[in-house]
Order: sequence, then structure tokens, then C-alpha cells
Amino acid sequence: MVGGILFFGSMVLFAIPALQESTIVLPAMTEIPASAEESGSNKESLETDITKLQAKLDKLTPTDAYIVINTSDNHFFLYKGKQLIRDGRCSTGKNEKLVSEKGDNIFYTPQGVRKVQRKQPNPVWAKPNWAFIEEGLPIPPPGHASRFEAGTLGAYKLELGNGYMIHGTIYKRFIGQSVTHGCIRMLDDDLEAVYNTLAVGSKVYIY
Amino acid sequence: MKENLPEDFDSLFVKKRSGLKIFALIFCISLLIIAGLYAYLSIGAVRDRMQLAKTQAEGSVVDPSLIGLMKDKAWVESRVKMATYDSVGLSIDLEQHIIQLELKGVVVMKSNIKEYSTSGFFKRMDGNVYFSMFGTPLTIKSYVSTIDRNRFKVIQAPKTKTAAEIKAEEDAPYVAAKPVPKDSLPKENVFWTVKLDRAIDLNIQGIDSISESQSKYKLGKGFEFERDLNNILKSFHHILKFEKPTYTPEILISIPENDAKAILRALPSNASVTIRI
Repeated sequence: MVGGILFFGSMVLFAIPALQESTIVLPAMTEIPASAEESGSNKESLETDITKLQAKLDKLTPTDAYIVINTSDNHFFLYKGKQLIRDGRCSTGKNEKLVSEKGDNIFYTPQGVRKVQRKQPNPVWAKPNWAFIEEGLPIPPPGHASRFEAGTLGAYKLELGNGYMIHGTIYKRFIGQSVTHGCIRMLDDDLEAVYNTLAVGSKVYIY
Repeated sequence: MKENLPEDFDSLFVKKRSGLKIFALIFCISLLIIAGLYAYLSIGAVRDRMQLAKTQAEGSVVDPSLIGLMKDKAWVESRVKMATYDSVGLSIDLEQHIIQLELKGVVVMKSNIKEYSTSGFFKRMDGNVYFSMFGTPLTIKSYVSTIDRNRFKVIQAPKTKTAAEIKAEEDAPYVAAKPVPKDSLPKENVFWTVKLDRAIDLNIQGIDSISESQSKYKLGKGFEFERDLNNILKSFHHILKFEKPTYTPEILISIPENDAKAILRALPSNASVTIRI
């Protein structure tokens, strides 16, 4: 009886699933070969189509500089002429929803393709409303002196639109972690290389 | 009063033993019948699925000598099509052992496939069935994963500066003690399955070595074991009703853990997938 149970168990667990996936018991979906002449012309036309499609696909990768940001791994890859020229750690959005009476804020780095819209050395951070909400402070009017902070963004910033930026940080020990409000933070050397390589209009691929 | 003779005791045991033997025999025969039925219905389900795929596939006769080139064309054509979408897509080339994330035609991430297996169904496909399945990008219908895809936390904003300071002080020891990791991702078991729109299951497991996945399976841990067990239970449910179990062809891919995690989190809900087998 024990033998029977063992046999049954091994059939159910291993033999039948293996049989189900093996090609021995499955019929082939037969094909009728075309004539040699027909095959030749089809082959040429297929090869031409593949070359054209591949060229079309290759054209989609920028030939000038671009950057790829991995938000899961907090890693960046800088390319120039389709060659990887630098990679390193960065920090991206902390994936947090800040709930307050003054409205909710979602802190994440949006995925997709963006372009560098503006580059600036020695940037001054214009603090948005959430920076005050997070600190439990009253929100000052736009343009108020308390909104502006020098040094926080490091030596350079590259604006990506909708308030998102690539910039430096004073919190260097958090590089490599998901801690930002959506911007991409980098270490000084990496930021300098990125700033000098990317031009206004360069593509930023975020995933 | 009747005496209990030793011969009577013996005959009682003989009777009990033969009863047990008959029971064991019936039990074993029943198991054999169930196993046979299970095998018959399971294989029947695969055959039905193949027939359905063949019926759905339309087109002229495909010359088998050109199948390689036609697969090349389908692969590039499907990726070109995927490049027209705004979101991240997944392309899997089992021939080259490559899995990659693509965004507007640009490969943003590439990883080597350590190991893969496909259902026998795929090995028996003819040209027309292949193109009806993989000629255009597939769409993800649902995800099941061992880790969260969206890691959003909800935080209540402090009402005053003092409340914010107290919170900052509470967080301070944790923040200070937090080491700067080489890799910000914690070690987790990463397995995920997606259901594709053409009734295909794509299973991705994150492993850093093949022996790791084998030992997990042997110990009955991990997603793969759990999935197999679930499939068997579901199949039995059908078989007990004398119905054919549902059959969904599968592709199982093993890639490094961090890559499995990054791909899962990068893909939108209804992401496109291009596969070359």
C-alpha cells in the first residue's frame, strides 16, 4: 500500500506534469514546405525587411549623450555615442504620499522619457509648498525670502520639467537609497560629469 | 461454553490479513485508475489547447526552411511596434538568453537569462501559430508577485514645527545607524508571474545561482514549488469532476534577483511584451 501511495505521488508530482510538457505525446503542427524557387524569393524579401526594420529600430537610440536612471536600484548610466561612459549610484523618489490638510503630495520619480530643459550651475533651491508642510511650518507666499536656499542642490542642476531635476546633495550618505521627493540626486563628481556631458535637449530615460 | 482453541486464533488472523490485502489491492487499483485518468485528461488538455491555437492562427503556408528568418522579422517588427508606445516594455530573446527593458525603442536595461524552460506546447508550434502568438507585442493582463510592485507609503504631515522636530528626533537614531549600502535593495525572494493576453503564463524568478533555485525547490520553498502544487490541486479539482484541467503554456525564466526586482517595478500594469523563442 505504501508502494502504491509512493507510486501515485511520484506520478502526480513528477511524471504526469513532465509528460504534459514533453513533446513525445504531443502532435506536431505540420507544415508543407514551399518550392525551392518560392523559398529563394521569400528569403531575399525577408532579409531586406529585417535589415530595414533593424535600421528603423537602431535610429531610435540617440547618437548624442543620454542618461538612463534605474529607480529600483538607484543607479544611473550615462551614454555618449551609444557607449556607456559612466555609471554610478544616485537617489530617486521615496514613493511616499504626504497627507495634510493643505493637500496631499506624492513623492516619486516618474518613469518615462524626459528631456533636459535647462542647465544651471550654483543653483538656489526655491522651496515648494511641501517642504514647509513636511516641517510643520506655515506656507509662505510665493517669492518670500524663506523659500530660497543656496547650497542644498549642490553645484549644478539639470531641470527635467514639472519641478523634477537632477542635482547634487548635502545628504551624501543617503546616495543609493530611495529618499528624494522625486528628483534625482547624485554625488559631486558624477553630477559634474553628467552636467558636462548632457546638453539641453538630451534625453533622460527613467524606469 | 466454547473453548478458544489455538487454531481459531490463527484462522482469525488469516481472515484479517486477507481482508487487508484485498483493501490494499483495491486502494492501489483506485490510485492507478485516478493516475491514469489524470494523465489522460492532462494530456488531452494540452492537445485541445494546441488545436485551439491552430484554429486561431490564420495565414498562408509557412515554409519551414524560412522559419528562422521569419522569427527574426517577427522579433524586430514587434519591437518596432512596441517602440511606438510611451511606457516601458519587456523584450525576451530566449535564443540569445537576453531579457531587456525598452523605452521608446531604447534598451534601458539588459540582463542575461541564467536558465529558462518552456512548455512542450511551444516546441510543437508551426510557423502560423508562432506568428499568431509572437508576431506582435503581447500585453500583460495580471501580475502575481512575492514583492510589492508599488511601494507607496502614506505619511501624515506634522501639524506643527514641534511635531516635525519630535518626529525627526525619533527617526534620528535609525537614520544615523542606517549603513550606506553598496546596493540599496534588501535580499528578498523575488518571483513573479504575469498572465499574457494570448493565454500564456510568464514566470520570472530572481536567483543569483542555479543551485539556489534548486535547493529552494527541494526544500518546498519558493514560488515555483508553490505554483506547481497549486496547479496540481487545481487539476485534481477538474479531474474529480471528470473534466479536462485548464492548460496554460508557460515560460519560466531565471535572472539575477536585482534585475527581476527592477523589471517588475518598471513595468506598468498593461505593459507590452515581445518574445522570441
